[in-house]
Amino acid sequence: MSRIEEPGIDERKVVTFTLGNQLFGIDMRAIVEIREWEEPTPLPGVPPYILGVTNLRGAVVPVVGLAERLGWTPSPIHARSCVLVAHVGGKQAGFLVDELADIVVINGADIQPAPDTGVNESNVVSGLARIERRQLGSEANDAMVLLLDLDAISLVRQIADIAA
Amino acid sequence: MSAAGDDGLDEIQGIFFEECAEGLAVAEQGLSAMAGGQVSADVIAGVFRAVHSIKGGSGAFGHMALLAFSHRFENVLDEVRGGAIPPDAAVTGIMLGAFDILSDHVAAAQSGGTPPADAAMLEQLDKLLANKGAAAEPAPAPAEPAPADEFGFAPVAVDLDILDDPFGFEPVAISLDDLAGEPAGGWTVRFGPSRDAMANGGEPILVIRELERMGGHILDADLSALPPLRDLDPEESYCVWTIGLPATIDEADIRECFDFVAPDSLIDIRRQETAPVAAPPKPEPAPEIAPLPAPALRVVETAEPAPPEARPADAPQQTIRVDLSKLDQLLNLIGELVIQGSILSDRLAPADQERVELPQLARLTRQIQDNVMSLRAQPIRQAFSRVPRMLRDLMAATGKQVVLETIGETTEVDKGVLEKIGDPLTHMIRNAVDHGIETPEERLAAGKPAEGTIRLSAEQKGARIIVRVADDGRGIDRARVRAKAIEKGIVSPDAVLSDEEIDNLICAPGFSTAETISNISGRGVGMDVVRSNVEALGGRVEIHSVPGEGTSFTMALPLTLAILDGMIVRLADQRFVLPLSNVVETVQPVAGQVKRVSPGSEVIELRGAYLPMRRASDLFAIAEHQRRAPEESVVIIVESGVSGLVGLMIDTIENRREVVIKSLEDNLYPIRGLGGATILGDGSIALILDIDALIVSPGFNKFAPKGMAA
Repeated sequence: MSRIEEPGIDERKVVTFTLGNQLFGIDMRAIVEIREWEEPTPLPGVPPYILGVTNLRGAVVPVVGLAERLGWTPSPIHARSCVLVAHVGGKQAGFLVDELADIVVINGADIQPAPDTGVNESNVVSGLARIERRQLGSEANDAMVLLLDLDAISLVRQIADIAA
Repeated sequence: MSAAGDDGLDEIQGIFFEECAEGLAVAEQGLSAMAGGQVSADVIAGVFRAVHSIKGGSGAFGHMALLAFSHRFENVLDEVRGGAIPPDAAVTGIMLGAFDILSDHVAAAQSGGTPPADAAMLEQLDKLLANKGAAAEPAPAPAEPAPADEFGFAPVAVDLDILDDPFGFEPVAISLDDLAGEPAGGWTVRFGPSRDAMANGGEPILVIRELERMGGHILDADLSALPPLRDLDPEESYCVWTIGLPATIDEADIRECFDFVAPDSLIDIRRQETAPVAAPPKPEPAPEIAPLPAPALRVVETAEPAPPEARPADAPQQTIRVDLSKLDQLLNLIGELVIQGSILSDRLAPADQERVELPQLARLTRQIQDNVMSLRAQPIRQAFSRVPRMLRDLMAATGKQVVLETIGETTEVDKGVLEKIGDPLTHMIRNAVDHGIETPEERLAAGKPAEGTIRLSAEQKGARIIVRVADDGRGIDRARVRAKAIEKGIVSPDAVLSDEEIDNLICAPGFSTAETISNISGRGVGMDVVRSNVEALGGRVEIHSVPGEGTSFTMALPLTLAILDGMIVRLADQRFVLPLSNVVETVQPVAGQVKRVSPGSEVIELRGAYLPMRRASDLFAIAEHQRRAPEESVVIIVESGVSGLVGLMIDTIENRREVVIKSLEDNLYPIRGLGGATILGDGSIALILDIDALIVSPGFNKFAPKGMAA
């Protein structure tokens, strides 16, 4: 699709959150809602990172341990654990994250293409951006955010690999 | 990429192809009726119209191959309709062939594939056209010239159909107007300004002039409210006018004229069923209006309505197209409403429920649910409609002769079920032609008519739809089936099998008895696929065969895929739903009733018989400390199509209820052993067990346990 490139237009809102010590970001347009952690209903015969399914206003939606899915240490569940429900390739899925950080505006020009980060699938991280990170009680400081491409985290594809 | 423009066109094309599908269905039905000897002007005209509108649309969308073919086909149909080509068996046969090619053309246009080779068929069609004079001269007009009906209106419709606009409808009403010199089925507007309309600046004459400008005229002025002159207040209105307007005017335009009329005025706009008697147009609302059309005259008029098909522009719109996903969404929301209703009733004491009239709400919800379900219901004809074409191909390929009888085509099933029975139906029909029906010679030798019969029937029985394919062929050759099953290692040579069990072997995976692998069936997948597809729908397949007399395959399908009658069971701290259709009985095991026969398998003794048993806690990998002993559990005897009766051990049974099925693949992917999930009254999710997939897992020999009917 052709898009008109104009300065100022190519800004995107990104929801940032942490997994361990790492800051991640997901394009806000993909987010359906953010909910508190609630123990999902476990499913038999699924990979460990699919934590189960949950009831999202009448739809049965899988809950994915995003950290496990990316090959990081599983997120411990605590009071600020939350689930980002997002559109993933025409479907919906919830992603367990450690802690929600902020909503930031990132200019497209400030996004660097991702170098090979050593994360399982290199295309899952679509880019890197430097943002000013606001933190309670301290001065704003710079932080690097890894922008995730949720469509690359296609759950179906992963299963096909496992079955093969 | 100019995305927006393409999308718009794609959408319109989508509608075109939907209409093609409908047109093809109509044409096929008509041609089949003609082949069955029901040749009437209406039927021929119906086929013609269907092909005509496919042609019109194909030109508009640039499907030139489709356009060219449908044009030639249409020419022939036109001559048939006009009577120049008699619709005898040979002609009907050619037209059926042409129809098949037309279907292929539509499919090719839709998929962007290569158009079918139609040269031979075009030649046949051209030959028909070339011979038409010869055929028509010796026997002038064998068919009645044109669809003549008692009103004599049809020729008008015919003429307009020939006009080359793709949808060929609009002008009809206008030409009727011309004929009658009066709006047929125009508008009747009754207008009575409120008493103080004029005080508010609502001058009725302005409204009436506006209506007259649109072609209206006053038919009647009701002066009954007019007081004697000395009581008359010239600033008040007393009249009620009846104004006739032509049918071609939009209701919205008429309403617009009344925009500035005082709100409590009488304004009544309705369509006339028939044209009123021609009333001389009155230029002004004169007080002394001649009394207008007497009611008696109107009665005379109504007795002579125009035939409905001659004025489709006037016909009220009967159907609307709705995106199926919108219906699904609606159904989903209704499901939510049902669930919310049960949450409410769980939380309220019975007395409080009555006080807030919860039962009434529940009943209403239920009615809404039933209504939405009926919106998704479609006649099974849609699935049956592709059978005749398939049979023609099969007859050509096998040299067998088959007559198709269909019964219960109007039986309604859920759209989702309908979409899924197509494949099983195809396999069943192929199987019947390939294995059931004998060759004409064999049939004659057996004292049967050379033509075989396949009876396709559908009926609703309770909450199930029964679809049956019955042939009058040779029946299942049980000795051969058995020999083949032993050869393939499906059963052991010394197995004792009932007739029914042998019949069911043909549904076993990898079974095929066709002596030659034909391109029709005999790949050994057909009946296996039928069974697994039907069981995946929550249905079952039954086979009944009498040697020498025929075989019938019966599919029993659920009415809907959206709601399931289930048993809620508990295992550890999770709840599951067991489809009630699988449940045979429940057993509370006593000590020693469950026996281990090998490290990986157990049996349960039930009235002297041993049934295989599975622990659900094994299937769902329940932690050791949460597992219960058999004596503290419940064993549910379930019946599965593939392995007969099996015990499934769970912790407790909670209750029985209808659940709304939510598919897992909507947001994830299908999971083996689960038929979906549902949301219970408290908002939690319960997984629906797929018994067949769950118990047919390693350690279960599919055909080992004998002595039970599948």
